[in-house]
This record gives sequence, C-alpha cells and structure tokens, in this order.
Amino acid sequence: MALLELRDLSVSYGEVRAVEGLSLTVEPGEVVTLLGSNGAGKSTTLKAISGLVRPRAGQILFEGRSLMGCRPEEIVRRGVAHVPEGRRVFPGLTARENIMLGASNRSGLSKRQIRAEADAMFELFPDIARFGDALGWTLSGGQLQMVALARGLMAKPRLLLLDEPSLGLAPVIVQAVFRIIAEVRRRGTTVFLIEQNARMGLSVADRGYVLESGRLALSGTPEALWANDDISAAYLGGSRAVSAAG
Amino acid sequence: MDLVPQLLFTGIGIGAVYALVALGFVLIFRATNVVNFAQGEFSMVAAFLMVVFAVDLGWPYWLSFLAALGGMAVLGALFNLGVYYPLRHRSYLPVIISTIGASILLANTTLALYGPQPQVLPGWFETQGILAGGVFFDSQYLLIIGVTAVLVAFQYWFFEHTLVGKKLQATSQDKEMASLLGIPVAGMIMLTFVYSAVLGGIAGILVAPVLFVSIGMGSTIALKAFAATIIGGFGDVTGAIVGGLALGVIETFGAAYISVPYKDALGFLVLVVFLVVRPQGLFGERVAEKA
Amino acid sequence: MAPRASAVPHRLGGTLAYAAFALLAAVLAGALPLSGYALNILMQATTYAVSVIGLTVVLGLCGQINLAQAAFFGIGAYAVGLGTTAWGLDFWLCLGLGLGAALVLGGALGASTLRLGGHYLAMVTISFQQILTLVLVNWIPVTRGPDGVPGILRPAGLADGQRYLAFCILALAAVAYAVWRMPDTRLGRAMRAVRDNELAAGVVGVDVYRTKILAFAIGALLAGLGGGLFAGGFAYISPDQFTFAESVVFLTMALLGGVGSPAGAVIGTALLILLPEWLRFMKEIPGLYLALYGLAVILIIIFMPVGIWGFVGARLARFRKAAPAPDRAGDLVLARAAPGPHPALEVVGLAKHFGGLKAVDAIDFAVARGGVHALIGPNGSGKTTTLNLLSGLYVPTAGRIRIDGRDVTGLPPHARAAVGLGRTFQNIRLFRSMTALDNVIVGAERPDNPAGLADAGALEARARAALAFVGLEDRADEPVASFSYGHQRLVEIARALAGNPVLLLLDEPAAGLNASEKVALTALLRRMTAKGLTILIIDHDMTLVRDVADRITVLNFGRRIADGDAAAVLREPDVIAAYLGEDAGQGGAGRAEAASPRPDLAPV
Repeated sequence: MALLELRDLSVSYGEVRAVEGLSLTVEPGEVVTLLGSNGAGKSTTLKAISGLVRPRAGQILFEGRSLMGCRPEEIVRRGVAHVPEGRRVFPGLTARENIMLGASNRSGLSKRQIRAEADAMFELFPDIARFGDALGWTLSGGQLQMVALARGLMAKPRLLLLDEPSLGLAPVIVQAVFRIIAEVRRRGTTVFLIEQNARMGLSVADRGYVLESGRLALSGTPEALWANDDISAAYLGGSRAVSAAG
Repeated sequence: MDLVPQLLFTGIGIGAVYALVALGFVLIFRATNVVNFAQGEFSMVAAFLMVVFAVDLGWPYWLSFLAALGGMAVLGALFNLGVYYPLRHRSYLPVIISTIGASILLANTTLALYGPQPQVLPGWFETQGILAGGVFFDSQYLLIIGVTAVLVAFQYWFFEHTLVGKKLQATSQDKEMASLLGIPVAGMIMLTFVYSAVLGGIAGILVAPVLFVSIGMGSTIALKAFAATIIGGFGDVTGAIVGGLALGVIETFGAAYISVPYKDALGFLVLVVFLVVRPQGLFGERVAEKA
Repeated sequence: MAPRASAVPHRLGGTLAYAAFALLAAVLAGALPLSGYALNILMQATTYAVSVIGLTVVLGLCGQINLAQAAFFGIGAYAVGLGTTAWGLDFWLCLGLGLGAALVLGGALGASTLRLGGHYLAMVTISFQQILTLVLVNWIPVTRGPDGVPGILRPAGLADGQRYLAFCILALAAVAYAVWRMPDTRLGRAMRAVRDNELAAGVVGVDVYRTKILAFAIGALLAGLGGGLFAGGFAYISPDQFTFAESVVFLTMALLGGVGSPAGAVIGTALLILLPEWLRFMKEIPGLYLALYGLAVILIIIFMPVGIWGFVGARLARFRKAAPAPDRAGDLVLARAAPGPHPALEVVGLAKHFGGLKAVDAIDFAVARGGVHALIGPNGSGKTTTLNLLSGLYVPTAGRIRIDGRDVTGLPPHARAAVGLGRTFQNIRLFRSMTALDNVIVGAERPDNPAGLADAGALEARARAALAFVGLEDRADEPVASFSYGHQRLVEIARALAGNPVLLLLDEPAAGLNASEKVALTALLRRMTAKGLTILIIDHDMTLVRDVADRITVLNFGRRIADGDAAAVLREPDVIAAYLGEDAGQGGAGRAEAASPRPDLAPV
C-alpha cells in the first residue's frame, strides 16, 4: 500500500483551477519530487495534503485512510509534517523554541523531554547549534531553512512534505540542505519534495513528477526525466514553440 | 503632606489599572489582529459581579473575588464564540463594529439588571492605609500596585517559560504555521479571550473601591487603556505597562494642577499628540495594522 | 463595505419623479393635521436621517468608521441653540456656523488619524465623542451645562412646527439625492475605490489620505446639518442627547437600513425611531433598549452585513431592465512613446534591505521607450520587492528611480501614477463592488492624464474604449465581481490603459491563466506595444517572456545577473543555471551533466 496516494485531485481558488485531476503515489521510504515552474500548482498540492486548502474534487489517502476534510492539526497528528514555502519560522521565538514547537502534534511529552529532543536535533543540524537562543527574525535564510526542517522532524512524521527548501539560498547552502534531506531519508522518513531547482530535486529523488498548469505532464525516474526535453521546456519555456516547430 | 510624591503614588496606582486593561487589549490584538472595544466592559461587569457577590449576597471577599473571576472566564469564552469567532474571516471593520455592539450590549444589560445608581464596593482591607515619609499610602492603591506587579511577573513567566505560552505566541505570530505544527489555534484564541477577560476583570475589581461602580466605568477605562497602548507602542507588552503608568501619572498631575473635570480630556490630548508625532509609540516599530 | 445596491437614476424622468415625491411629502407634512406626538416623531426621524446619511458617506462609500456622529450632530445643534438664544444671531447664520464647525473639526480629526487606519480611527472618534460630552456638561458659562439650552428659535417664516417639518423633509430629500448621486462623481468613485482596495486606489492615482479626510469631513458636515435642524425642531437641547450612546444609535440605524445607500439610512432611521415607540414598554427599564441595539449591531454584522436596503436592493436589481446598449466604443488612443530624451524608466543603485536581508541589492537597469522589457528571476530573487519599490509601496534603502526623466523616489503611489506609472497586480486588485466600467473610469481619472478628459462623457468614452481594447465592451456595466479570473485580469489592464501611462508595469499577468488565455494575453501585449506603449513585465512563464520581450533583466539573490537583448540573455549560462539549478549536488553530478543546456532551448 502506498504511504500517500492522490486520486484525481483538483483544487480551485475561486475560479482559478490550480490543480486539475492530479494522481500520484508516494511509497514508504521513498523520496519523491514534484517539479514544475512557478504557478504550476505544486504548493497548492502540498497545501491540500496538509489540510490548508480544501480540494474541489478527488481523494487524498494517507496509509490507506482519507485525509479529506481533516483540519491541519489532525493531519499532522496522523504523521504528515509540512515544511512550507518561505520556512515560516516564528520570528519572535528563538530557534530552539521554534524547534520545540514542532512536537506540538505529539501528546504526553513533558517540556523537559521535548527540550532534550530539540537539543538532539542540533546534532543533525550542527550549523545552527550555536544559534539555539537567537530569535527567528535574526537568522539568515539558510539558518531559517535548517530550523524549519528540524521543526518538521520534531513531529516524528512518517511523511515529510518539503516546499522548495532551496528557495533563495546560495548554492553552498542548498548543498547542505540536500545532504540533510538525504540523511533524513536514510533514517527512514519518507519525503515528498517540491523543488524549482530541478537538478537538486532530482539528485535526491527516487522518482519525480512534473506539473504544468496544474496538470501532470510527466513522471518517471530522474534519469528518464532528464532525458526528456520537456523538463527544460517546463522550466525555461518554449514548449509551445517546440511543439509548433515539430 | 508632600504633594508631588503623593500624586506620583496615586498616579502609579491608577496607571496600574490602565496597564492591566491595556495588557488585555494587547493580548487579544496580538492573537486576533483585532482591537476589542468591549475590553473596558470586562472590568465593569466584573466590578458589578463583585458587588452582587460581596455586597448583595454577603459572601466573603475572597470567595466573591474568585466567583467573579470565574464569571469573567465564562464571559470571555462566550464573547469569543458570539462576537469574534463568526467574523474571524472578515476584515477588521465588521469585527470592530461587532465588539462595539458587544460593549453596548454588556453595559446596557448591566444597566437594565442593576439600574443607573452607582454602587459602592468596599476595599479589600479594613485599614485605610499608612502614612510614611509625608505620603499617605492608600491600602487599595498598594494592593493595585502589588497585584499588577504579580500579574505582570506571572504573565512574563507564562509566556516565556511555559510551552502553552510559547504556543500562544506562535499562534499570534503565524496562525497557519501554528496549525501545521498541530497547535490548536481555535483553542489558543479561546484561551486568549478567557485570560483577557479575567485580566480586565481583576482590574475592574481592584479599581472599584477607588471609583464608584458604574455603567460608564468600562468605556472610561477602555479609552485610557487604549491611549496607554498607543503611547507605549501598539502590540507591545512592555509598552502597554509603561504607557498605562505614564498616563495614570499625567492624569493625576493634570487633575491636581490644571482641572478636575477635564482630566479625561488630558489623556485624549496625549493620545492625539502621540498619534500625530509618534504613532509607533515609545517602544518599537510594530505599527500593527494589517495591510 | 457593502456593495452599492442600486444604480443612480440617470434619466431625467426618475429625477423629476423623485422631486415630485419629495415635494408631495413636504406638502403633506405641512398640510395634514398632525398631533404634537406625530410631529415630534417625524421631526426626529427626519433630522436623524440627515445625520445617518452622513454615515452612508463615510462608512458606506469610503469604508471609514466614525463613532462620533452624535458629537458632530451636537455641534450643529449647539451652534443653532446657543446662536439663536444667547448670541441673538439669525437662524441661517447659526446653521452655517454649525456646518462650518462640524466640517472643520471633522476634517481635523480625520487628518490626525486617517493615515493610521481603522482601529485608531474608532478609538479616536470615541475619545472625541467623550471629550465633547465633557465640554458640553462642564463648560457651563458657554454651554449652560447639563441644564441644556431652551427657547431655540426657528427661522422667520418657518416658525410653525409643521411648516418647519416640511422644510426639514425637503432638506433631507436634497441631501439624500446628493448622496445618491455621489457614487458616480469623481470623489464618490475615489471613495469607493479606497473602500474596496486602498492599495490599488493609490496606485491608480487616487490620493487615498485626502479622499478619506474629505469623506470624513462630509460625514461630519451632514451630522452638523441634521443637528442644526434638530435644534430648531425641538427648541430645546441638552448634552445627554449627543452622547456616545446616540452615536451608537446612528451607527445601528445605518447598519440596519444598509450602509451602502441613503435609502438604507432613511429606512434604518425610520425603523429605529418608530419601533421603540411601538415598543414603549421597553423604555420603562433603562438600558434594555440600548442593550437590544447592541445585540442588533452584532446580529446585523454577522447575518445581514448589507442591511435591509442592501438585501432588498439586490433582489430588485434582478428585475431592473438592462441598460440600453451604448454606442460602439471608439478606438483607444494611447500617447505614443515618443523617442524623448529620457528612458521610460531608469533605476540607479536601487536597494531594499529588510533587517539583514538584502532583498534588492543595488540594482541598475533602464527601460527604453516602446516595446516590452521583462524583469525575471527565480522565486525569491527580489522581483516583487523591486516592483513594490517602483510603484512606491516600499521606501528604498538606497538608490533613485526616474520615470520619464522625473525623479519619483520619494513620491507616494498616487503621485507616481500622475507622473505616468500604471500597474497591475499579481493577485488581482480590482474595486470589487464596482462595475467594470467604473473600475476603468477610476483609472481614466488619473491626475494629469494626457488624454485630457474634460467631462463625464469623455471619461466614460475613454473607459469604454479601453474595455473594448481588451475585448470586454459588452460587459462594461456588469459588476466586476461576477467576472471570471481571466476577465478580471483584462479589466485591470484596461484600468491601467485608460490612464494612458508612460510605463505600464505588469506583475505576473499570466499567473493563473489557462493555455488559451495565455495565447490571448500574448496577442494583447503585442497590440499594446503596437500602439506605442512601453511595458515592463514580470513573469515566471518563460514561454510568454520569450514570445513578447525585446529586452530582459535577470535578478538573482537581489542582484542583477544579466541585462540586455532577450535572446542573448536567455542563452547566458548564469541565467540557465539560476533557473534550472546550479550544478552543485555531489550525488547528482552525473545526472546534472546530462542536463547541460541543449540547443533546443534557444528561441525558435
């Protein structure tokens, strides 16, 4: 059974059809990436999974059970953590406090236990260990991404949703972030990753899907996707020109 | 008696009440981005509950106090459910109007139930106060200052050192993200309203023996508390406390040296001066209107 | 806040019928035998309604709250009251003084707070209300304190109660007519624009602050008029008639009737004056009746935000005949981007830092006259920040911005519109309660529009021409909220075109459009440049950018990484890397190699 399955998912904002009839699966232990240019509907797909937007039609199954109609709080309690675009680290809380709040979906933990777990997180994220007591708004983009990832992991998710972790980060930081994603996967967490940085996304993924204007355009292994011209077209344009020429 | 220290003491005492109500304002504002125009009525209703329990029913003072605060907690919860929650997805203007409606409703329901006659609530202590160094320290003012100090300390501890406090802060900073982490956002907002109502209630009960318990006390206190939050810097907890104390002192000196009937106007003037000259207040840049 | 429920009686016939009806009402009020009780009720309803119509302007049209309406009402009343008694002045002079005082105080109060927005305004007006009550009660030598002012005189010739009532009814009819027509004046449209979308109003060229102050002052003026008439009607006034509670009563009347129209104001006032008279028993318990007002406010806001008239009017509108089809719209004329001495836009060393984050880091570029210039870059590269700096929504940390050779760096958005900057928004910002035509007329009304539109007819003709240009002339008179997303985008473009901008900024015009709409957009962009317009476009849709852009500036990490001829820029390795990702991952090196730029990426 797939860990996550989307069946004919459609999401609209008013009249704008952001996602149309999207079906895909994520198997346990995989890293799956969803690619596509800005506005293709990638973030909307993640928001539908984590309950932030209500789909117009279709079905979302997690571990075989529907997530449709559940509030975000319930969905994260069932084991789906969402690290959203823009990191959304609470600016007025410290890095450690942000990370500790990641465990809000797990009940029965004392503050001391949570703090110990948060401190253990810093081993996976040595770059931010020194900034545990720094307030969120003082952190740099790379540090914010590390805090957001650590906070997501504190939920002990079975499925981690990552929305553009490379966004606005310098290449060396992007590398560090993706090393961590590879490590997260090695430790057994399934990852569903959205990326505009197609190279990086496919470098860690087992499989990839490509969205274009809300519809599934392509899917397959990273090698197969790179071999297809359309992935470049989806990002740099020209698909219409190419098809017209051909 | 030496006038200046005496006025300073009284001003800080009355300012502490403004600060307490202002804290309630700030908490609700930070959690919901809405100014609760019925915040002052929380103080008024609590004072009347106190009159009912302690004077009319003759319950012991401490029991009446606890019962009144319990009543305020219920009122805060009902307020959230009836006045704020149905409008949470609308713009700020309908919510403002709704809280104003609630303010009128609370004030006039109290009037209908209790009549227009101002009531007298005795102070907590038998003794009037103590004279020291040429200054008369009124016992009720001492109590007000003491309780305010304790509450400010409690609030600091609660927000800085408990997990629930952190969750409340997270909710006020980014509700959507908070819900993604599994923080029950609706519950946090409920908690904020309940706590703010209790806070306003404590302020009302403390100030009641100094003023009369009247229908109009709520809106008067609310205006002062709002002025205090603007002086201090909107949305800033420290600012609310400093602003409240400053306003109490300004007003007390104004009443002594300028005019008694217009002491309320003085607070308004300070408010306008701040709005024109320094709208972000004494503390900070967070002019927190939604774009 | 509520949509305007009904159209203005454009036709002369409607206006004449209205005038005849008002005259009839006045004649009946003067001639019918009325009991003293009925006279009082009607007098109160009429004078209150004038004041409530003031709220229609400030709250309904402009979306600004005023909780001191009773204070301004009181100012008018005391001017007439004290003037005709203590100072021995003529009634009309006193009424004029009251109106002037209300206008000036309203304007001053608004000016002190309206920059800050809703919460402040609500609290400051409440404070003002309380101060006025304090002054009326305590400044006994002048106001006579709590005892009030008796023996107020009426003007000569109107001393009889019923004749005076007839006069008040005519005054109310005139005020209601003026406010009924107001939404279709330049000021009224500006107010509605501010209410619907402050940000867009500023960018289109509306001076938001000035418009709000005017709305506030007019609202206060009408309250003063109502108060002055009230004082003459009842011959006695006292401070308790002008308290905060009365301000809430005015507000409730406006909300209940429907804050969007003077008809709602009259209905709400009449209901809330008559109902309590029928339910007199409630007055025996002090407070009960105001408590119900408070409850009514909450319930109306939650369940019937458009009020009675808004509710009824929306249903009536379905039966109204469609407006006669306008003549064929003329061709849209745009001032050609003449090869003047200055580029359309010049950006020098522009920077914006948020704390330590350098969102835009000293960028330079220029947009030459004519044609399409694209500003592109990966997500988070600083494009949106740049756009907000250009249109004046952010203040830059450093650098200069020149439009058409004029330095606009320190100018607010509406002043930049006057210089010639037009823009659209990624997340469409239309004036949602207005028709497509009204939206575009607001755009045509931009200050210094070179199209030189002298009168209302020319304005409307230009707006229709702009709508025709984007292909929406047939739907000009429909409310824009009913339009599809793609059509709303076109209305936004038409709104900007009507203002005849020197430079048009398009913020992600392709976002949310489907494939066929994108093709249509490309064609529209070409038609716009054929008319000589200069366009700066920001978009992620690289197919669109390839198709339309002559020149491209590329941003990444807040810096400019490429600039120049479109085809050449898109071939630069830095640009390709910025979009497809750096060849950085060690594990992915093998795959990345397979993804080196291909020949087929070059434009066809």
